[in-house]
Amino acid sequence: MNVFPPQVWREKETLYRLIGGKCNCGNVIFPYSPVCNKCGSTSVSKIKLSGKGILLQYTVTYQHRPGFEKTQPTYVGLIKLQEGPEIIAPLTDVDEGELKEGDKVEAVIRRIKSDSNNGLIVYGTKFRLIKDGDK
Amino acid sequence: MPNVLISATSMIKIDRYYEYDLMDLATQAVVKLLEKTNENIKPDVVIFSNTYAEKTVSQVSLASKLCNNLGISAMPIRIENGDASGGAAVSTAYYLLKSGEIKSALIVGAEKMGDFPASYLNEIVSENLNEKYQEKVGLTTQSFSAIQMKEYMKKYGVTYDYFAQWPVYMHKYGSENPYAYLKFPVDLKTVKESQLVSDPLRIFDTAARADGASAILMTNEELGKKISENYVKVKAVGFSTSEFRIGEIPSVHGALKTLGDVKADLMEIHDSFSINAALILEEMGYPRGKSLDNLNEIPVNPSGGLKSRGYPGGATGIYQVSEITQQLLGVFPGHRISGNKGLVISTDELGTSAYTILLER
Ligand SMILES: [Zn+2]
Repeated sequence: MNVFPPQVWREKETLYRLIGGKCNCGNVIFPYSPVCNKCGSTSVSKIKLSGKGILLQYTVTYQHRPGFEKTQPTYVGLIKLQEGPEIIAPLTDVDEGELKEGDKVEAVIRRIKSDSNNGLIVYGTKFRLIKDGDK
Repeated sequence: MPNVLISATSMIKIDRYYEYDLMDLATQAVVKLLEKTNENIKPDVVIFSNTYAEKTVSQVSLASKLCNNLGISAMPIRIENGDASGGAAVSTAYYLLKSGEIKSALIVGAEKMGDFPASYLNEIVSENLNEKYQEKVGLTTQSFSAIQMKEYMKKYGVTYDYFAQWPVYMHKYGSENPYAYLKFPVDLKTVKESQLVSDPLRIFDTAARADGASAILMTNEELGKKISENYVKVKAVGFSTSEFRIGEIPSVHGALKTLGDVKADLMEIHDSFSINAALILEEMGYPRGKSLDNLNEIPVNPSGGLKSRGYPGGATGIYQVSEITQQLLGVFPGHRISGNKGLVISTDELGTSAYTILLER
């Protein structure tokens, strides 16, 4: 699969820094959008999300897209972020059978895929379990 | 305002057509349609309903090319609204005809999904996810559906067997449909032991992705009655959008609400996943957590739905309208449900937009 650098670079705030939006009404949006998806207001400021959240639900996926063969099977979670939004995101560093609903998770930067021709690598945010003993 | 009719419909069998390209399939559907009309049709508008052509066949200007192939000059429009393209195309034609400014619209839904292995089809369908994050990090729509299923199982205390009832019914109906892609019955055991796609979602819960083309001719009443005695009326259309949400499909709720209080005798719904069928039925008022337990009492998807009839992307909604039209006219060549009012619910993969189309004999 081809990787076109501008397409990844322009999403750097979303993919690497977890920048979301906070509306005057209190609604938190991820990814950031200048318009609130709840009340329609344009009074939305950028906030950096903590990346901490709770795993509400998860699945393990055995089908993949081209370029993602190395992360098979893929664990995917429904995560409630500390700041409020619920997102569906890839999980990483998962041992089989260890996920539970209610587990604490945190954001980490991981390799997403690489270009099969020139080796360009796409990085982005995934989530991993915060295990006992971790801070 | 003029009444709007569906004056003719046609479908080709949904299949993998290695020998035909997208325009071949679209043209075949039109040729079949023209065989059913009394007059030589010169439509004012030609709408091509298609979702994935840029990625599947590297083509744009689909409606113009179709017009040129057919030797007609019309207003060409390509409509893409995810897998709800069919609903969007029919709704657009409905309003154009209601305006009185046009007399006829030819709508052709065609899609080419049969050329590709599963991983590339996942890539194509992942275009439905958001650009900033979901698509970029490699997600697939199946994961969303699997999580939706698990939340439903938890909320209502049901097991996987509950969902397995849907594909069993769909294949029972689809096995009678000559246009169906997977034209065979399956039993509960086969569904339960089928390939796991994204736990607990299995292959029989997903849509059978393949090639297809279906055409319909929509006209005002005056012209329609000259073209054919076998017509149905488009009574109303409704629509709504909403974000993907756990436990409900608000867009379907909204699209039904805009139609008003409707009691349809039969319906075709967009069951991209078994869980979507349950959630759509529940938005219609069937009991939550139990909608799939009484399928023998619900007149839904006599075509076999996306599971058995198959899923040709943006052509799906046009198939649904063709099927309901043929049902109401008593000429559908598969499993029949009799009635005077039929409802189509056309949604995209995850239900972020929905169109409702009410047809009446
Ligand atoms: Zn707001």
